Amino acid sequence: MHLSDRFTGPFLIALGALAAYGGSRLPPVPGQQVGPNVFPMVVGAGLVLCGVLIALGVGRRFEEEAEADLAAHENPPPPEEARHGRWYGLRALIPPALLVFYYFAVDRIGFVATAAVMALVAAKVLGASWRLALPLAALAPIGVHFLFYKLLRVPLPAGLIPLPW
Amino acid sequence: MDTLAEAIRLVAAPDVLIAILLSSIYGLVIGSLPGLSATMATALLVPVTFYLSPIAAVATIISASAMAIFSGDIPGALLRIPGTPASAAYTDEAYAMTRKGQAELALGAGLWFSAIGGIVGTISLIVMAPALAEMALQFSTFEYFWLAFLGLMCATLVARSSPVKAIASMLIGLLIACIGIENPAGTPRFTFGITDLLGGVEVIPALVGMFAVSEVMRAMVTPDPPPMPRRKFGSILKGQWELTKKYVAPQVRGNIVGIIIGVLPGAGADMAAWVSYAMSKRFSKEPEKFGTGHPEGLVEAGASNNASLASGWVPSLLFGIPGDTITAIAIGVLYMKGLNPGPTLFTERASSMYALYIIFILANILMIPLGILMIRAASHILRAPRAAVMPVILLCCAVGPFATGNNLFAVMSVAFFGVLGFVLERNGYPVAALVLGIVMGSMVEQNFVTSLIKSDGSLLPFFDRPVAAVLAAMTIACLVWPIGVWAHRRFFRRQASVAPAG
Amino acid sequence: MAAFTRRGFIAVGAAAAGAGLRIGPAGAQGAYPSRPITMICPWGAGGGTDATARIVASLLEKELGQPVNVVNRTGGSGVVGHSAIATAPADGYTLGIITVEISMMHWQGLTDLTPASYTPLALMNEDPPGVQVPASAPYKNVKELADAIKAAPPGKMKASGTGQGGIWHLALVGWLQAMGLKPDHVAWVPSNGAAPAMQDLAAGGLDIVTCSVPEARAMIEAGKAKALAVMASERNPAFPNVPTLNEELGINYSTGAWRGFAGPKGLPQDIATKLTAALKKINESKEFRDFMAARGFGVKWADAQGFADFMAAGDKQMGEAMKAAGLAKA
Repeated sequence: MHLSDRFTGPFLIALGALAAYGGSRLPPVPGQQVGPNVFPMVVGAGLVLCGVLIALGVGRRFEEEAEADLAAHENPPPPEEARHGRWYGLRALIPPALLVFYYFAVDRIGFVATAAVMALVAAKVLGASWRLALPLAALAPIGVHFLFYKLLRVPLPAGLIPLPW
Repeated sequence: MDTLAEAIRLVAAPDVLIAILLSSIYGLVIGSLPGLSATMATALLVPVTFYLSPIAAVATIISASAMAIFSGDIPGALLRIPGTPASAAYTDEAYAMTRKGQAELALGAGLWFSAIGGIVGTISLIVMAPALAEMALQFSTFEYFWLAFLGLMCATLVARSSPVKAIASMLIGLLIACIGIENPAGTPRFTFGITDLLGGVEVIPALVGMFAVSEVMRAMVTPDPPPMPRRKFGSILKGQWELTKKYVAPQVRGNIVGIIIGVLPGAGADMAAWVSYAMSKRFSKEPEKFGTGHPEGLVEAGASNNASLASGWVPSLLFGIPGDTITAIAIGVLYMKGLNPGPTLFTERASSMYALYIIFILANILMIPLGILMIRAASHILRAPRAAVMPVILLCCAVGPFATGNNLFAVMSVAFFGVLGFVLERNGYPVAALVLGIVMGSMVEQNFVTSLIKSDGSLLPFFDRPVAAVLAAMTIACLVWPIGVWAHRRFFRRQASVAPAG
Repeated sequence: MAAFTRRGFIAVGAAAAGAGLRIGPAGAQGAYPSRPITMICPWGAGGGTDATARIVASLLEKELGQPVNVVNRTGGSGVVGHSAIATAPADGYTLGIITVEISMMHWQGLTDLTPASYTPLALMNEDPPGVQVPASAPYKNVKELADAIKAAPPGKMKASGTGQGGIWHLALVGWLQAMGLKPDHVAWVPSNGAAPAMQDLAAGGLDIVTCSVPEARAMIEAGKAKALAVMASERNPAFPNVPTLNEELGINYSTGAWRGFAGPKGLPQDIATKLTAALKKINESKEFRDFMAARGFGVKWADAQGFADFMAAGDKQMGEAMKAAGLAKA
């Protein structure tokens, strides 16, 4: 997921340009010299400028110095990233995917069932044994449910597995 | 004296004492859970305060919020997941200390200097409330504009990376703050027809996504970190006294900045922590150590954010104007309990006011023993297997942001900000700057636009009011600083490379 | 007030114990209500609408003998919660508190929801806008202020109280129009609510703030501001010295921010009747009156039909004011 500055810079330029364009199409408001269009345009212009500087590599030196400082003060040097397949990086998308799953599932199958699936998947991906993952998936949702539903009165949907409180 | 005795009697009532104790524990637990903030802890208490006596009700808010602001530092130091926007300013620092095996020093500093800051802030509230309130009233939108701008500039000072990327990150935050209808024009912007975006992007889902979810994502693609040195967790308060003596100036500065920022309505603990951390770095004798596990910034910022919490009550109690999101909720509770804010609260209900002061001090003292217990309990997380901790954090990330508004859209926002935070972090864009941009964005725009309306389009009042002029000078100095440093280094490097040749 | 201030922790314990029992087998006698009721509040915890919803919910619980749980559904500037009430099943188990925004937002094209999207039950509160000026201002009464406004060039005087197009902005627009002036004769400075506006008034940045008098109370008591009038048909009993516009200027203009209770459209008639009757008892109860007086909120009553008529009239008035101010979507 590490992208070169030659990529993020132009991306920021595009984002800034879009923001400025989107902002410029907002209608003015009677009685306000500075309408809703100005702020997005200023921010967009700033982003374009930053994008250009980043693409040109201005300020890289600060990062290198910071990394050197950090390395000098860090006791154990950060471990070398192990060699993995080319799809390994996509595992990072599992947590947000589980949150999206929560969004769609929680009203249908209830909180406990949804949370159990999330906990199980997350634990297994992180390399937990079944002996750790299964009890975790069973107990963590109940604990969280107790804390939020019972003590904090957050209306979590009951769904498939209603709890006795 | 009679009022003081009456105040002590009010506080010593069993229901008040129980309320303080229980809400302190509650605040500590909620604040320490990744994905839950001090504001949320306070909001979730509102239904409970309904059943309490007036003093007990306010006591729960005071104790819970003070504890939650402190315990927001705990997940920040242990897991690199700040519990509140305020602790985001120095999370990397505290986490670096933990990695060096100094978790107890980092957390102890947070605890000790939070308690001191809270007590100093309370004293300022007792001694100078009317004077501070008068000062706050001198601040008009012109001053607020510069103040917010200055807060944003702090993001670039704090970042340990390219200032250009820090500014870019902050600008993305400002762009996100544009979303919704809560802008001076009342016009929906960048909502793409999505109703949930009308109200804008809330800070809590953004914070949780950027810090907590992205941390879980990082765990997915990095091997288990080398285990922490297996040793007994040392004394938490040991070493704090040395720090207290060593960093007198930063502490005093932190307390003063915290009190001033806290008193100003709309600028709360978040900004106090950021400004103080940035100041600490600027004035430090060893700024190069910042970000590598150096306690100096923690001392100053920790003192600052708790000091601001107490002084934030000044405008709330005197004028009913909230100093921050927590006092905004507290004002609702005050009204509900017949303790209507206003100067009459200080004169006609002086005993209640003294009772509030006592509760403030009590809560800050109670913070030390309870905080030590909490830190000890939380430190087990360092030894727990990552595969057990991260899934639970992920559940909190889903439920916590949902809890504030019971709106499932918050869960989607969390997922989005998780991905955004992960990508930015990987590429050297400081995510904390982005969060600050979201927090401060509407304040910058609101005050700029309203100032222009009030001055009939003239920019002059931004510079010719005395306080505004000082703030403007500071802001411009901050803006020019990175460029100056860059030009300076560039110049010297050229000289250095020219010298051997010549 | 005393009735629920000194109950202390016993009440919390009792509430917790009650909550433990409430999932038990619901008495399935068929009579409404046979299970807990959810009350949706479209605004955040700790605010005025939340407080009103909670006091009414706790009293409704006593009237109906079933728990009434307040659930804050925030987001989308109130649209999310309002639409959650409108789209809930019309069985009487999901009700909500609706606010004046429902008669404003659809004019701006922000939502399709209108007052007609609900089964109105009862109007419980209305707060009229006040006219506040700095304590140091030279005007002794609203007549002198009105003369100063008329004499000033357009846009010279500045007023605030809420965001652009918010209820207090429309109140100013309506008042200016009633005086025969243009809607932007007094420039509107948008703010994040009444409290920051009152602060700016005290800091000398504004000439007028048109928020409700209770919202300005703390500043008035602090000697920083004074209230010259209320835009209501009668004086607020909590502030008997503040006259109405009609008394001082002969302008019969009144408006206000209101809160009422409603269910989704198509609520069965018998359930709606029962709820309206219960809300009427609550509206007349000492607890409710004391609570509203303590917070400075105005008590108002209108039954289902009255509330519907009230909203229809208010909706029309808002639409006109918003069109005049250029705020409504064409």
